[in-house]
Amino acid sequence: MSLLELEHVTLLEGSKGRETLLLNDVSLEIDPGELVAVWGKRRSGRSTLLRVVAGMQRPDSGVVRFAGRELAGSGALGEGIGFCGGGLRATDGWQVLEQMVGTQLARGVPQPAARSRALNALERTGAGHCADRRQYELRGGDAVRTMLAIALATEPQLLVLDDAITGVDLLERDEILLLLRSLADEGLAVLTSTDEGTGLSGADRALALSEGRLRGSVAPRLAPVVPLRRAAGA
Amino acid sequence: MRSPVSWALLGLVIQRPSYGYELVQRFERTYGDSLELSSPSQIYVSLDALKRRGMIEEIPAEEAEPGVVRQPKPHYKVTEMGVSAYRKWLISLAKEQRRKARLFARQVSVLGAEDALTVLEHCELAYLDEACEAPAKPSKGLLDHVEGLAQRLQWEEDRLAVGAMLSWIDYARRELQQLVAAHRSKR
Repeated sequence: MSLLELEHVTLLEGSKGRETLLLNDVSLEIDPGELVAVWGKRRSGRSTLLRVVAGMQRPDSGVVRFAGRELAGSGALGEGIGFCGGGLRATDGWQVLEQMVGTQLARGVPQPAARSRALNALERTGAGHCADRRQYELRGGDAVRTMLAIALATEPQLLVLDDAITGVDLLERDEILLLLRSLADEGLAVLTSTDEGTGLSGADRALALSEGRLRGSVAPRLAPVVPLRRAAGA
Repeated sequence: MRSPVSWALLGLVIQRPSYGYELVQRFERTYGDSLELSSPSQIYVSLDALKRRGMIEEIPAEEAEPGVVRQPKPHYKVTEMGVSAYRKWLISLAKEQRRKARLFARQVSVLGAEDALTVLEHCELAYLDEACEAPAKPSKGLLDHVEGLAQRLQWEEDRLAVGAMLSWIDYARRELQQLVAAHRSKR
């Protein structure tokens, strides 16, 4: 059993009789320690796929299972899943650390633990210097690192990132990709989406999504040709 | 001059003056995975060709230590003409790459639509695989930045080219699928 399993997931958009398929029979599995990147152009369905994976959107048919439980797709983020997408809240005047601690307290984490979790997450993503900044002040790499820290502070098993490197300076972008790779190497399952070839770098598996249909590979037992990152030195 | 080995070798001499055996080693280190030598003697043949064309010249070999009988190793450095020819060749190479890509697009299109879709599907897998392989390696400090420059430039070229090809395949597939659907509805 994989950490995340999607089986024949289909999602429609539009009024009855005039629906378009946003996701078309998508099956996918992700294990802990895997970095999986989904490549797709605009309107390919990549953001929809990520919201479905995170439990934020319910498919019309098919099953999304995370850690053995079926996700409700109720609009709320699934337990154990961290989601980064849509940028930081530009209107939010809270300081980064203040907000991170507040989120933890709301989840029932005691104050000292909430603070240390938040600080650790900021350090881990290289956003320690952003702790006292307000979210709307952050741009580019700092904004992405902070978003990642906010997600990591909830100690997720799966991290989902929609277009993480978009808008990041070219030379800084590789450091973010390397950070994602190292998070996966520490045992986190990471699912990212991108419309650039660059965003696939260092992934264990790259998948292409076009018109809601997943191409490339699913899992070794399902697809004979699987693009897998070769082991170092192989 | 047509031999890609000779041009690659000229590039190495431009990078810094060198002698034959060192050039064999540098060649394998720098181009090993993308340009294969049929034998080390190919380097010496290419050095002769570059010298004849006035693109490189010999510089006086270092004096051997007194009492040591050793064949002097001819060192080569690039000439102005060599640098200028190398620049022109690089520009023509970029044009050649575009020509090959256009040819590929045309050659795919002469297949029947369904065969073309199969070919594209396999190409897509190969590109996705390649995209994963290009590692992200940020530069730390100026020295590392300079030393790893050739490698990073190549990775970035790979990643951008793969992204462009994935986009092209996505487009081509839609065109071909429409064609297949149109044929089916006619039947």
